[in-house]
Amino acid sequence: MSFSLVEFSIRRPKTVLLLAGLMTLLFLTQFPRIRTDTNPKHMLPDTSDVRVWNDEVDKTFALYEDTIVVGVENDAGVLNRETLGRIARITDGILALPGVASRDVTSFTTITNVTADAGTLKVGPLMPAAPKTDAEVEALRTALFGNTLFVNRVISKDGKTTAIYVPLEKGANGAEIADKIRDIVAKEKGPERYYVAGDPVARDTFGAEMFKLMAMFSPIAGMIMFAAIQYMFRNLALSAAMMGVSMVAIVWSIGLLIGAGFPVHIMSSMAPVFLMAIATDSIHIFNEFYFRYKERGDKLAAIRETMTAVSRPVRYTALATAAGFAVLLFMNIIPVQVFGGLIAFGTVVLRLLSFSFIPAVLTFVREDRIASAAGSESVEGDRTARALGRLGAFGAARPRMTVAVALALVAVSVWGTSKIHVNNNLVAWFKASSEIRVADTAMNQALGGTSLGYLVVQSKESEFMKRPEAMRWIEGLQRHLETLPEVGKTFSVADYVKRINRVLHDDDPKYDAVPETKDTVGQYLFLFSMSAKPSDLDNVVDPVFGKANIWVQMKTWDAEAMRQVIAAAERYQKANPLPVTVKPAGIAYFNLVWNDEVLGDLLRGFSLALVVVFAILALDFRSLKWALVAYAPLLFTILFIYGVVGFAGKDFDMPLSVMSTLSLGMAVDFAIHFVSRLRQRLAETGDADLPGALAWTAARPGKGIMRNAVLFAAAFSVMMFAPLTPYVVVGAFIVSMMLLSALLTMLLIPALVMLGRRWLFA
Amino acid sequence: MKRWWIWMIAGLLPLQALALSGEEVMKKSQAAFLYPGKDFKARVVMKLINKDGQERVRELTMLRKNVGEPGGEQKYFMYFFQPADVKDMTFMTYKYPAKDDDRWMFIPAINMVKRIAAQDRRSSFVGSDFTYEDVSGRDIEDDTHAVEREEKIGSRDCIVVKSTPKGTDADFGYKLTWVDKANFLPIKEEQYDKKGTRYKLFTADEVADIQSIPTVVKRNMKNLQSGHRTEVAYLKTAYNLGIEDSLFSERFLRQPPRKWVD
Repeated sequence: MSFSLVEFSIRRPKTVLLLAGLMTLLFLTQFPRIRTDTNPKHMLPDTSDVRVWNDEVDKTFALYEDTIVVGVENDAGVLNRETLGRIARITDGILALPGVASRDVTSFTTITNVTADAGTLKVGPLMPAAPKTDAEVEALRTALFGNTLFVNRVISKDGKTTAIYVPLEKGANGAEIADKIRDIVAKEKGPERYYVAGDPVARDTFGAEMFKLMAMFSPIAGMIMFAAIQYMFRNLALSAAMMGVSMVAIVWSIGLLIGAGFPVHIMSSMAPVFLMAIATDSIHIFNEFYFRYKERGDKLAAIRETMTAVSRPVRYTALATAAGFAVLLFMNIIPVQVFGGLIAFGTVVLRLLSFSFIPAVLTFVREDRIASAAGSESVEGDRTARALGRLGAFGAARPRMTVAVALALVAVSVWGTSKIHVNNNLVAWFKASSEIRVADTAMNQALGGTSLGYLVVQSKESEFMKRPEAMRWIEGLQRHLETLPEVGKTFSVADYVKRINRVLHDDDPKYDAVPETKDTVGQYLFLFSMSAKPSDLDNVVDPVFGKANIWVQMKTWDAEAMRQVIAAAERYQKANPLPVTVKPAGIAYFNLVWNDEVLGDLLRGFSLALVVVFAILALDFRSLKWALVAYAPLLFTILFIYGVVGFAGKDFDMPLSVMSTLSLGMAVDFAIHFVSRLRQRLAETGDADLPGALAWTAARPGKGIMRNAVLFAAAFSVMMFAPLTPYVVVGAFIVSMMLLSALLTMLLIPALVMLGRRWLFA
Repeated sequence: MKRWWIWMIAGLLPLQALALSGEEVMKKSQAAFLYPGKDFKARVVMKLINKDGQERVRELTMLRKNVGEPGGEQKYFMYFFQPADVKDMTFMTYKYPAKDDDRWMFIPAINMVKRIAAQDRRSSFVGSDFTYEDVSGRDIEDDTHAVEREEKIGSRDCIVVKSTPKGTDADFGYKLTWVDKANFLPIKEEQYDKKGTRYKLFTADEVADIQSIPTVVKRNMKNLQSGHRTEVAYLKTAYNLGIEDSLFSERFLRQPPRKWVD
């Protein structure tokens, strides 16, 4: 099958190159139609349960999906005329921004305050205008600290920090609005520090940064690989061929993606790098070609022999990689499916090119150039090859020790793996020194927290929430939640009721409690609604008082924090039965579900891929036994790395789980090459000298494996300098994984083969 | 003779529109809408309807007595029937031109009359989409008024007036009012926020002659940003009943006379 394609490509190289070029142009025509989607939230479709539920809660309680938190900090305290004037001006500026839900911005000038002044009940904005006298400032201070609804929400306990909560209209871009807010605060000259924080800022900034990084990183990785290939083979045509192959595969895949009408999502934006990585498999062709050319001195014959020798492993590595990604097509999350399909398609294209484009380019390589470059390519004459040969020989000579050490490491790794902590924290994806992280940390230290979740208390009965027992139950739940270290502030309808009770009774602290009768609660809330903003009540109770909404501010974006809030609510519910249900909602809850769903999907995909890859190994080798041997380095590598992740205390998050799938696709390639070539060698030379054959395999195809690993690692090492932590982690992960799995292939397979010699060759 | 076309166009314009300034139109409108009769009584049913069509009902009796001329002082008395738990609550307002209102509320559950500060006339009236100002009026002097154009709404010829707040403290940018040329009732009003986006829409959906006074008996206010709206129907409407001044007192706030609140 592939034989004829190779022959055709050698005979008609120009035609092949022309065809490839034309096809590439065809796919390129799709590029102008590109649509991007930088919102990680869209990983879950509109119709997903959590989004439907969150939309419902937003509607019921007139809430907003996304809120930006703007912090104003003054070491001398924000309660002075200058700073308050700035806060008023900044709020006015924010209110005028498009995309901001102006009517529900919460700031000193807009938040509703309930007070009693000389027997008169006052319900209205806390600070209608910036104070003009110091006495007014003092009055404001008293109002702020006399109302528990404000402390930790709009004013820090030490009076040095205030926050402006800026809800966004649906579809508004958080990063863009955050930029405009930064422009507004930049106009103010003074000692204050300003922070712009909140999930929409982090999310939209991350999405945009991710695209930027991918656009920047892909070419850099490409150039590094180009330089590395050039260094290894010292032939421009070969290096160009390699890069050409990956470029063609990238253009075809992305062209297909765009042509099929999919937006380029953050996950698909990683495809070019992945495909470039997978393209490095072609290096085995060049590797073998150089050895063969050295032996034969005839270019065309060397090409034919090379293609025959590597065709099987190359085909099967492609199959394994493609299958590994194709299983993602069966997952639930659409961007994961698209990503899996995209890479699987790209892998198939790459292999098609390996048997056409690459042989065609090889025919153009000038023989004198290869001769000089290939001069050192022999197992005996090459230092790398000799060292690798010795490595294989060591494994073959000391199989028991090698395997025992490996098993011991596996045991330790399994222990480490058990310590792995699945968590996602969008803000932590930024470096500690980044503006977003600094803002978030400062705000979380000073105030109740930038991460917002809701607990919706639901009864089947309307008017139920007006009952004093329901009010007290909600109040109790709030106090219970506030014992969690991550929870910085909660508020609910009960807080308003208590506040009104106290204020009506001349600010007597004795009345800072839920009143005795349902009518009293009803009348208080009615009184409140006579003057407050409609959203004040809407945000905490539904129109018929059958549901109440508790706001929970958390000091961390860890998905785990919301999980604990939910667990605490369940415990409270058990200890204090009331005929209500409590359901979590809000962005913090969304992040928790997103974490579980996306990670869960990727992990399921990964597990399924593990099975599929084993099946392909068995099919390739027509032997379960050999499949097991080839499987070992892959499995061990993965265990080692996750063991390290577990010991290092690094959260297992979305980027890492994406990388797991890649690791699988790549690490198996090495084993396939090794075992295939070993068995070919044994078929050629006979079974007599098994250790010799193992050493040869480690030295010759092993050099290709090593080259592949180094190339790959070199390209990905750039990622370690990225400004977003997931890239740093992924870069480190890939580099260590490639080198480790290459090493294990060369060391462990010989050891296993020697140990299982009788069993394998029975 | 060369300018004959100018005269022709001028001749086509209705005389009244030329005669009245924006401010005069709004003054007449205020008198027709908020000040007719010496006093006034109605059973008011408000339906607060959210985006999903969920309804909440407010039902009250509203009594109004003019103290002076249109544009001058007024007294309002409200007795609530619904929601059930606020039955017997009463609310009283003394409205003054160019000065904050005085407001009192009786809370039966704790048997207390409380004075309520009226620092914000733009806040919601009993949780509806109407603000206090929408219910009892905004001082004409607070805005500049300009006649924009004339326009028909249904079969009614209307003058469209643009009112822009003079100060910066208002929460809206400007509003457009369609005033019926025949009876000066506002038929439609659009409120624009400071970004210039239309965000609130008032419509007078039914006008009836009550004791030969044209009265808006069905009205609607919709918040275009939140999708929330409030429908108001005036039932049992009557003018010039001879409501005593003494009704507007704390004593009757606690124990309103049957004959007035039913």
